[in-house]
Order: sequence, then structure tokens, then C-alpha cells
Amino acid sequence: MNVLLLLLILMVLAGLWSILTSLLLRATIALALTSVLLTVVMFQMNAPLAAVFELSVCAGLISVVFISVISLTHRQPLKEYLARRQKRILRFWPLPVLLLVVGVGLSFVHRPVHIMLPHPTAFGDIRIMMWQLRRLDLFGQILVLLAGVYGVLILFRGNKNGN
Amino acid sequence: MIIAIILLPLIAGLISLMVPDRLKGVKEGIALFSTIIGLIIAALLFKQNIMFTIPWLGFGIDLSFRLYHFSAFILLAIAGFGAAISLYSVAFMWGKEKLNQFYAYFLLTVAFANGAVLANNLILMLFFWEGLLLTLFGMIIIGKKEAFKTAIKAFVIVGITDLCLMLGIALTGSLADTFTMSMISLPTSGLGALAFVLLMIGAIAKAGSMPFHSWIPDAALDAPLPFMAIMPAAIEKLLGIYFLTRISLDLFRLNPGSKISLLLMTIGALTILLAVMMALIQKDYKRLLSYHAISQVGYMILGIGTMVPAGIVGGLFHMINNALYKSCLFLSGGSVEKQTGTTDLSKLGGLGKQMPITFICFIVAAVSISGVPPFNGFFSKEMIYDGALERGWIFYLAAVLGSFFTAASFLKLGHAAYFGKSETANKTKEASWAILLPMIVIAGLCVLFGVYNPLPLHALIQPVLGAKLEGRDFAGLPTNAIIVLITLVVLAAAVLNHWFGVRRTGKGIGAADHIHYAPGLSQTYDLAEKRYFDPYDIGMKIANWLAKLLNAVDKAIDWIYEKLTVGVTFAFTSAIRWSHSGNVSTYVVWSLAGAAVAIIMVLIR
Amino acid sequence: MNYLLIFVPFIALVLVNLLPKKLRPISSFLVLLLILAAQSIFAALAPFGLIRAVGAVRMEHLFGFHLLIDNLSLLLLLSAGIVGFSALMVAWHSIKDEDDRFNFTNLLFILLIGMNGISMLRDLFSLYVFIEAIAVSTFIMILLYKAREAYEGALKYLILSVVASVMMLSSIALFIMFCGGTSFEVIKLSLVSSGALARIAIALFICGLFIKGGLVPFHGWLADAYTSAPAPVSVVLAGVVTKASGIFTLIRLLTAVIGFSPATKDLLLIIGAISIVIGALAALGQKDIKRMLAYSSISQMGYILVALGCGTRLGLIAAAFHFLNHAIFKSQLFANAAAVEEQTGSRDLGSLGGLAQKMPVTGITSAIASLSTAGIPPLSGFWSKLLIIIALWVSGNYFYAVIAVLASLLTLAYFLTLQREAFFGQVSVKVSSVTEASAGMLIPAVLLSAMTVGLGLVFPFVIKYFVR
Repeated sequence: MNVLLLLLILMVLAGLWSILTSLLLRATIALALTSVLLTVVMFQMNAPLAAVFELSVCAGLISVVFISVISLTHRQPLKEYLARRQKRILRFWPLPVLLLVVGVGLSFVHRPVHIMLPHPTAFGDIRIMMWQLRRLDLFGQILVLLAGVYGVLILFRGNKNGN
Repeated sequence: MIIAIILLPLIAGLISLMVPDRLKGVKEGIALFSTIIGLIIAALLFKQNIMFTIPWLGFGIDLSFRLYHFSAFILLAIAGFGAAISLYSVAFMWGKEKLNQFYAYFLLTVAFANGAVLANNLILMLFFWEGLLLTLFGMIIIGKKEAFKTAIKAFVIVGITDLCLMLGIALTGSLADTFTMSMISLPTSGLGALAFVLLMIGAIAKAGSMPFHSWIPDAALDAPLPFMAIMPAAIEKLLGIYFLTRISLDLFRLNPGSKISLLLMTIGALTILLAVMMALIQKDYKRLLSYHAISQVGYMILGIGTMVPAGIVGGLFHMINNALYKSCLFLSGGSVEKQTGTTDLSKLGGLGKQMPITFICFIVAAVSISGVPPFNGFFSKEMIYDGALERGWIFYLAAVLGSFFTAASFLKLGHAAYFGKSETANKTKEASWAILLPMIVIAGLCVLFGVYNPLPLHALIQPVLGAKLEGRDFAGLPTNAIIVLITLVVLAAAVLNHWFGVRRTGKGIGAADHIHYAPGLSQTYDLAEKRYFDPYDIGMKIANWLAKLLNAVDKAIDWIYEKLTVGVTFAFTSAIRWSHSGNVSTYVVWSLAGAAVAIIMVLIR
Repeated sequence: MNYLLIFVPFIALVLVNLLPKKLRPISSFLVLLLILAAQSIFAALAPFGLIRAVGAVRMEHLFGFHLLIDNLSLLLLLSAGIVGFSALMVAWHSIKDEDDRFNFTNLLFILLIGMNGISMLRDLFSLYVFIEAIAVSTFIMILLYKAREAYEGALKYLILSVVASVMMLSSIALFIMFCGGTSFEVIKLSLVSSGALARIAIALFICGLFIKGGLVPFHGWLADAYTSAPAPVSVVLAGVVTKASGIFTLIRLLTAVIGFSPATKDLLLIIGAISIVIGALAALGQKDIKRMLAYSSISQMGYILVALGCGTRLGLIAAAFHFLNHAIFKSQLFANAAAVEEQTGSRDLGSLGGLAQKMPVTGITSAIASLSTAGIPPLSGFWSKLLIIIALWVSGNYFYAVIAVLASLLTLAYFLTLQREAFFGQVSVKVSSVTEASAGMLIPAVLLSAMTVGLGLVFPFVIKYFVR
């Protein structure tokens, strides 16, 4: 339990860092770190499937996409950067305070919730589960993917034309 | 015949309205012709009884006329004055502007007055009565440029009182279940009293009694003079008193001791005194006369209000007498105005030598109105005194006091206009025959009705009362010697008072100054001259104030609709536009806040 | 039939993309047009028993999931068919580039499949997935021209959609926690004995749908997205997409799963009233035609919501009728706006004026749609608004009924402003050489306004469609 708590606190801190930092690269790294920490928490809570997805997609794929996009950007002049950093701090300073207050407040409430989670039924394999129960959702996912494909097509063609 | 006497002047009036001003003499001819024919018809109709009824609008509103001795008498009087004054107008109005309108209104007035007198249905009478309001308005408005205000004033006052009359007629009709005048006989109790008072307001306002009088002195200055001679001095008095007599004697059953009678006498006494006090201080020939026109109405109302035979006969006799001498006086004023160009007493003087016939006519009329024996005013006033004394010494006192001031003011008027000296006096000539002839005829009638009073009393007035006369005969010399004595003493006092005033100021016009500037009275007079006591002006002030208030309310409502609603709407709109800054994080915060509120709402319900 | 509604467009989409490149745009256009027309006719006639859904049982065995059609589904199918048809017609004339047009058609296929799916689904999670499919294809549609402002609009839509997704997903997670499943029957059964957590889940899901439907104060994305989208996209977006993913799902959820509790009713009424008033007021201050129409859309959504908030059968009927009416007149108004923009190159009310002389058809049809929106008899919008107000009054919500009446004055005010500034008055310099739009642009406008008038005139007959 203590390890879990520590991990959660670390995760929150990493999340805060990703928001508060003024450099895009650092933010990406912090986001990846948050995902990694979340993965660890998920492993701790006996959810390896979710943990693997989280690690591969959020910590891996998205970070790669972000970093590749960032590499295409220009560096900001130092003066503007400093001014911007000042503003960012001003804008986000209530966030940690708010988080702290909410956390402390919730700790006072402390009402244990007893909920019967649904019993895992024949979840032996994620593929079987998906295919047997949620075929329609898969169809929906295919639609989302198709739409994404067209999106890439549209946006990519735009880059080719130099717009 | 009975329809012809209404239609003839009506058609003649409409024709003369269409005759252009370029054709000189045509309108005058039409007017003269139609009024003289009217006089002949009225004379032929006299002593006849005719009922004429055609169903008209339904609901008991019939085209119903009734000719009997009373209406025939008034008809004859109207026709006589109509003829005399149309002759006078030909000379007086010659060459003035808007003549077609003048003659049209004049003839229409005669037509409507005939109709109102003959009508035997209250609604029908109201129809003619309202027609008179229109011609009254038209007559005043064609006068001087400032006449517009006076016309409005007259229109408003008469209009309001006509409204009362209308209500009264409606009430009477519903109480009596018929509008036919000869079939109505109501008691004056409860709603009946209200109906009577409403009708009475219409009648005495038409006659020009206080407090509905205040347009008359203004009209005297603004309107054409023949209008004054025919409308306030003659026809309106005749009509008003005719209708008052009708409602008092026929339509309602009044008792001598009733409160209504007391009310009438009070109005009469107050009108006599207040109007004559105002007349006393006037410095204008016509304005002075106009106040007397009001004051004399008081005598008639007082006389009829007594509800005793002597008073009623006196009131009616006074009505015809007043119509005679008052129109004679107005005509003399017109004659003076025509010859000198002014009616301001301070500029007049010494006309007695230059205009002897006018002067003589004036003297006859003036002594008549003052009640000097043996002229007609003396006899009618004596009868009113007699009646008033029977009902209470205070009314008698008011009547006698009024007589004193009447005499005093005519002494002043005659002195200022016809004696003494003025710059214009020597150049002035006597007026033309067309102006003089009506005056001479009317003055002659004044003398005749006084010297040989059985003629009017037996032929015209006493038949009106019928059974109510209680078999008495008022013709001949007055019976009460003490009243006559007091009258003579009062007249002598008026002469003394005049002598005192003239000695004090040295001028005829200043003869009443010691009363005018007496302590206490002088301030009251000032206020009265500034129209502080004019019910119309007071009403107008209140109405103005109300109008401003309502205007403010209306503006406020408009403001709410036009400015506030639109303003608030656009304030909201711009606030909404301002808050939609396009910043995504703001929108996210809104959504989250909305969700939070929604969750809380769901939880607490 | 149920399955065909999903699979026919899907297979058509795949097949069209396999065709030679030259044939693709025209064939995809024609195929989609055909599908949309067929769907509209089916949905319009089905409730009268003219066409029967057949073969449902066998299909269910084949696919392992089931789709159900009821009258509510038909409502969305009809709206989607009509609006999709109009958008496609507008697209054919306003999108000049062939590739763009082809991409738009493909995305419209996906949208159609998504909406058809939503209309027939009986599972909360599947619903979410299809809503996401619609949302993703809509982002990309908005970005069709890659205009700078379109990026902004799409980004706002994306961000708020993510917020909505988070809400809906957490709600679904909560439902799974205490219901053990996501299908409607399961949730409905376990909601009978529900606690605070269930209420939170419901409120969260509803709020997610509010964001999707663009109701105040969840509407931040709507105006920018509508305005920045290309003309045909805004037609389909305003006409049916946001309504399908937001309002329709809400109606489905309320009627099939959670029912009307006092708290939900209050929530619907309050959010609805706020949307009506703020949407109308905001529309009043707009200078851009499309932006004005976008805010008007928010206001009209509010009307549907307050009608739902009555919780009565009459309220439901009124909401459904207004749903259809709104699909018709709003897509028509956007089609008009597209025609105006196409011909004048401007959407700014300040620079337009007197267009009715130059573009009579557009002017007249736009006037009809405006009056219908403002609720002027005998147009169809009048009847649905009347029904809404009656439903509010009968159910005792007098305050909201008064708001609805007063706000329809505001509606009239901003539409009169629109008509006066754009179509009536002096011909402004800018539009002096403008001509009427091409026939393809006018067909949807004329068709839709004919529907508005027709529905209004045969209202007593039409209302049976909804009462059923």
C-alpha cells in the first residue's frame, strides 16, 4: 500500500511537471514518465493488460510522435521565452495548490466505498473477449481508424503542396 | 310647415356655405330671405298644436316634433331675432372675411335651435343641441386670429356640459322607459334627482350660467359681434331656459320646497351677484355686456328655481325681456364699434350727440335691464322678487343687490360711452339704417312689453304654466307695493353711487372705481381678472398637469420598451460576446464547472 | 434492413475506394446520393407500415450483436438522410477540388454509418465508440481545406470532445462498476436500486452529451467549429451531427435507460432555458451569418431540451418534432449561407444587403426557414414550438413556458436582423454584380423549404408519425 501511495504521489508530481514546464521537450518527457509510473501502478494492481497498453501506446508511441513534431518547430528567442515562462507560472500556480486542497479535503471525508466489481468471466484472452462480446465496438473502432486515415491523407497532402 | 322651419335655414345655410366670397350680396340675400320667411312661418304656426312623429332609429328614438304654445313662442322669438340680426349682419359684416362661413353657421344655428325647440324626443333634441355646439365653435373661430383659444375653451366647456346632458338623457330615458318628452314625468328622488341635475347642467350651461360661463366674456372680444347678439344674448338663453323650464315643469315633478329648487335658486343668486360684480369693473363695452348676459341668466334661474307661479312667470318673462334688451345692447355696441372702430371705454366718449338714435336705443335697453319702471325689465324683475321673497329673504337680497350693481354699471357704461369727450367723438357719424332698424324695433318691443305687459304675459308666457298658474294673473301693475318701493330706493342708491364715483374720479369710466379698488375686493378682482376663478382655466391647469404626468408615464413605458428592453438585451449580448473570448481553456473551465454543478444538483435532489 | 443501414454504406465505401482513381469522385458521389435517398425514403415510409424490416434474426446470429429500429431511430435516420443529401448537393458545387470532394464523400460515408449506428444501438459503450467515430470524422471534415481558422475550430472541438470523452468514459466505468455491464437492459435493471454513485454516473454522461450537443455552458467549441467549417460540412454538422451525438443520444438514454427523475428534469429544464436565452442573445450580436446561425442552433437545442425536461409524452413528441424541424431548417439556412458565401465571397452582414433582388430563390427560401425557426404559422417550426410550449404549460413549468415564448421573440429579432441586413434593403456595392447561385446549390434549399411548408400545412397528418 505504501509503495502504491508513493507511486501515485510521484505520478501526480510528474503530471504537474509536464504541465508546468515551459519547454515542450521536457513536457513530453514528463508525460512519458507519468505514463511509466501509471504502468507500474497498474502492474501493482494486477492489471497487466492495461499496463502493457499504457506503456506501449502512451509512454512509447505518443512520445515518439510528440518528439518528432517538436523537432519540426523553431526555437523561440530567449527574451520571448523568458516572458512566456513568467506568464506560464502565473497562469498555472493555482493548480498545485488546488490539488493539495482537494486531496486534503478528500482525506477528511474518508468514506470507504464497498462495491462489488463484476466477476471476470472467461476473460482468458483479450482477443476472445473482444471478439465475442464487443464486435460492434470493433466495427466502430474500424470507423475511427478509417476516419484517421482520411485525416492523415488530407493533412499529408497539404504538406506536400506546401500550405 | 313644422319641418320647413327647420329645413329652410338648414338648406339656406348649406347653400351660403357654397357661395364664394366673390359674389357679394348673394349670401346676405339668402340669409335675409330665409330668416324673414322663417319669421312668417313662425308667426303662422303660432297658436297651433301639431304633433309629428316618424319612426326613426328604433329603440324609442323617433323623429318626433311637437308644436304647442311654449315651443311656438320660443320659435317665434328665435325667428324674430334671426330676422333682426340677419338684417343687422348685412350691414355690420359687409366686406369682411369668411362671410360664407359666418352666414352658414348663423343659419345653421337658427335651424338647430328650431329643431331643438320642436323636438319631442330627447335623443333628437340632443342631436340638434350638439349641432349648436359645432356652430358655436365655428362662429367663434372665424373671429380674430386669437379666437382659436377661445373657441377651444367654449368647445371644451360646452362639450363637457353636453356630456352631462347626454348622461342625463340616458338616465332619464332608462328611468322613464321612453325618450318621448311629452310622456315623461319623473319624481326627483334618488336617481331621478341625479338625472335632473345632469339635465339641468346641460340647460343652464347653454344659458350661460355660472360656473359654465367663462367662455362668454372671452368670446365677446374675439367673435364677430352679431354672434354675441344672437348666440349668448338671445338664442342660447332662450334654448337653455326653455329646456330648464321643460324639465322643471314637465319632465320632472318638482316641489317648491325641494332641494333641487334650493339648488337652482342658489346657482341663480350666485350667478347674479358674481357676474354683475365682474361686469361692474369692465372697461370694454362688449365685455361688460357679456358679464351682464351671464348675470341676467341668474335672474331667470332664480325665478324658475323658486317653483312658485310668480317666480316662474317672472323668470320666463325675464327670459324674453332679457333677449330683447340684451341683443339691443349688443347691437348698440356693434354700432359703436362699426362707427368708431373700438369698444374700449377709455377711448370712447361723447357719442350721445353724434349717434343719437343708437344712444336712445341704448338708453331704452339700459333702463330696461336696470329695472326702471315702466320698461319691461321692471315688471319681470318685480315678479322674480316676489317669488324669491316667498322662498327666502336671502335670495331676494341677492336679487336686489344684483339690481343695484346692474344699474350702477349701466350708468357707468352710458356715461363713459355717450357723455364726456373723446378724440374720435367729433368725426363719428350715425350708423346706417340697416344697423339702426333692428335696434329700433327691439327697443320698441322693450317699451311695448313694459307699458302693455298683458300682451306678452297673456299671449306668450302664462299659457306655458297652465294649471300651475293656480288661476293667478300677473299682468298689469305689480301688486306688492313694498317691493316696488325698495326697487326704487335701490335705483336711487345706484344713481347716488354713480354720482359719488364720478365726483371722486371725475370721469364716467371711473364711476365704479371705489368699488373696484375697495380693500379686500381689489385683490379678489385682480385674481378674477387673471382667471384664477375660471373653472375652465383651473380645469386646464389640472388637465395639463395630468397630461404631463401621463406623458411621463407614457414616456417611461416607451422607454421600457424601446430603450430598456433593447438596452438590456444588447448589454447581455455584448456581455456574452465579451465572455466568448475564443480561449479554449475558458470553455473547458465552463464545461467542467457546468458538469460540477450538474453533479451537485443531481446529488442533492 | 437494420444491418443493411450500416453495412451497405460500409461496403460501398470500401468498393468506391477500390475503383480506378478517375472514377472515384463521381461514383462515390452518386452511390452516396443513392444511399441517402433510399435511407430517407425508407425512414419516411417505414412507420406507416409500407416497408418492413426483415431478416433480423438471422443477421443477429451472424454478427453476434443486435440492432433495433424503433420510431426514434427512424427519426434520426430520416434526419440524417435528408441533411446528408443536402450537404452532398452543396458539396458537389462548393468544393472545387476533386480530391477534396472525394475525401468529403468518404468522410460523409463514415458519418452516415456512425449516425445510423447510433440510431439503432442498445449499448452504452458502443454508443460511445460510435460517437467518437463521428467526432473524429468531423474534426477531419472541418480541416478539409486546412484553413487557419479551421485548425482553431477543429482544435476547440477536439479539446472539448476529449473532455466529453473523459466524462462519458468515467461514467461508463462507474456503470460497469455497479451494473456489471453496459447494455441498456443491464443498466436499467440495476438502476432500480441505485445510490449516489449511479446519479453521478448519469450526470456525468449527460454532461458529456451536453458538450457534444453544444449546450450552454458546454458550448464553447460550437460557434468556432460551425463557422470555420467548409460550407457543406457546416450543413451536415449543424443539421444533424451534433444533434445525433448529443441530443439524440440523450433522448435515447432518457427514454430507454435512466428515465425521468426530478433531478434530471430540473437539469434538462435549467440547461435548456439557459441555452435558449444565451444562444438567442448571442445570436443577436453576431455579424457573421454562420456564427449567428451557430448560436441560433444552440438556442434551438435548448428548446428541444426543455421539451424533454417536461418528462411527459407530449414533451417527447414535441422534442422529436422539433428535432426533425431543426434538422430541416437549420441545414437549409446553412445551405443558404453557403450559397451567399459562394456568390459574394462574404458572410459579413455589414457588407451585404439587398441580396434578395440578386438571389431571389435564396432570399425566399431563407426567409421561409427563418420564419419557421422563429415559429411563425403555418410553417412547421410553429407547430413544434407550439407543442413545446403547450407541453411545458401542461406539465406545470409555467416559468419555462414564458421563457420559451419570450425567447421566440428574440429568435424573430435576430432572424429579422439577418434578413434585413443580408437580403432586404438597399443593394450594397459589394453585391451589385452578384448572380443567383447554381442550380445544385438551390436544389437542397428549395427542397428543404418545401418540406418546411409542407410539414406545416399537413401537420395534423404528420404528427401521427411522432405519436406512434
